[in-house]
Amino acid sequence: MDLLEEYISTGRIKLDTTRIHETVTVHDPCNYVRKSQMALGDHMGDKTRWIVKQCINPELYREMCDDPLNNFCCGGGGGAWAMPYTEERLAYGRVKADQIRATGAEIVVAPCHNCRDQIMKGLGKEHAEGRMDMGNYKETMYLWEMVAHCLIVEPWNEEEIEAAHAERDAQFERMGIVMEEEE
Amino acid sequence: MEAHEIVIDRKRRKIGGLSPDLADRCFTCGTCSGGCPATGLVPIEGGEGTWDPRKAIRAIVFGLEQEVIDSKWPWVCTICGRCEYACPMGIKLMRTFRACRTLRERDKVPGPIHKGTVMNLEKGNNLGIPTEDFLYLLADMGKEMEEEGFPGFYVPVDKEGANIIVTINSKEPFGEPDDMKFWWKIFYAAKEDWTVSSVNWEGVNWGLFSGDDEAWKEQCRRIIENARRLKCKTILYPE
Repeated sequence: MDLLEEYISTGRIKLDTTRIHETVTVHDPCNYVRKSQMALGDHMGDKTRWIVKQCINPELYREMCDDPLNNFCCGGGGGAWAMPYTEERLAYGRVKADQIRATGAEIVVAPCHNCRDQIMKGLGKEHAEGRMDMGNYKETMYLWEMVAHCLIVEPWNEEEIEAAHAERDAQFERMGIVMEEEE
Repeated sequence: MEAHEIVIDRKRRKIGGLSPDLADRCFTCGTCSGGCPATGLVPIEGGEGTWDPRKAIRAIVFGLEQEVIDSKWPWVCTICGRCEYACPMGIKLMRTFRACRTLRERDKVPGPIHKGTVMNLEKGNNLGIPTEDFLYLLADMGKEMEEEGFPGFYVPVDKEGANIIVTINSKEPFGEPDDMKFWWKIFYAAKEDWTVSSVNWEGVNWGLFSGDDEAWKEQCRRIIENARRLKCKTILYPE
């Protein structure tokens, strides 16, 4: 997240803020926010929100929790996503589902793999099948997915491409990678 | 209900370190349980009611550690830290509940996380993806990226002196490979000098979740070792 912030603030990447028309909210992963604050004295809650607002028209932003340090866990953390206690995990996630419903947002941004899976494949599935109500919810995006989605890409110039190909070919040779030629 | 005498024996507690001593300071205010989404989800086996952080701490204070260790509680708790963040007595609840996971016999760790940890120590990633498969996947996907409007893109593997070394979540090469492209597109646009290690590239540390301190440490050590071997200044966990 520090890296994304740096890329955006220094102009190393440019973003098109007109590609997303849905309302957006941000979930705070426990590890990046509350637990970072407790362990390291700093957290990513404000950074995540700033990055999201660089990707969209800020009027589309909907706040889930005014105090990121006290935001609720999605229920997928601590390895729960990989555990067999599905029923408990989904019951736990109801708290998050209620929060999402209250925002009215269509897109939830999750800056963490576990949270994204729980919100998208866990809670999102319950919502789609009518067992949970997440209001206007449509989809979950990784933070870096949203950035990549809004990215203005300028293809490299010939010189850069050639240099990259030479590096790539040397790497393949070093590793014994033989690519099949396209017919 | 028949009353039992409870003898508290601090010296013989299994859960070592700081937390049990602090647990004795708990004055049962219930702030932890009030803010915990897992409160009420796990019935107390052979007892009444359901587990919550306060009851689990009390059980440990009263020497009923094994009941907590044997219960589902430490695994349904996501170690999210809301309880500890709010505790007026500064009790280390996260460390305490993770210690309960550590004290669970390894063959009784729920789900695949212990097996994944063993797999990681043997093969370098939680899902046992062979190095050759991984390298060919990255090579093929680099080509796809070029066709998708990113000419000159490839995945730099074991590139010495790169600015950033990136870990990978094995679920992506295993089942959701296209999701790796989000970061790749950003690196392309930023013209970042980055690399991935050909070995021990896993960024997901299941030793942390399963309570396996040795595996946790070993996986961290490998990631640092990769960075040192390739002389990279920054490690990026795109998690």
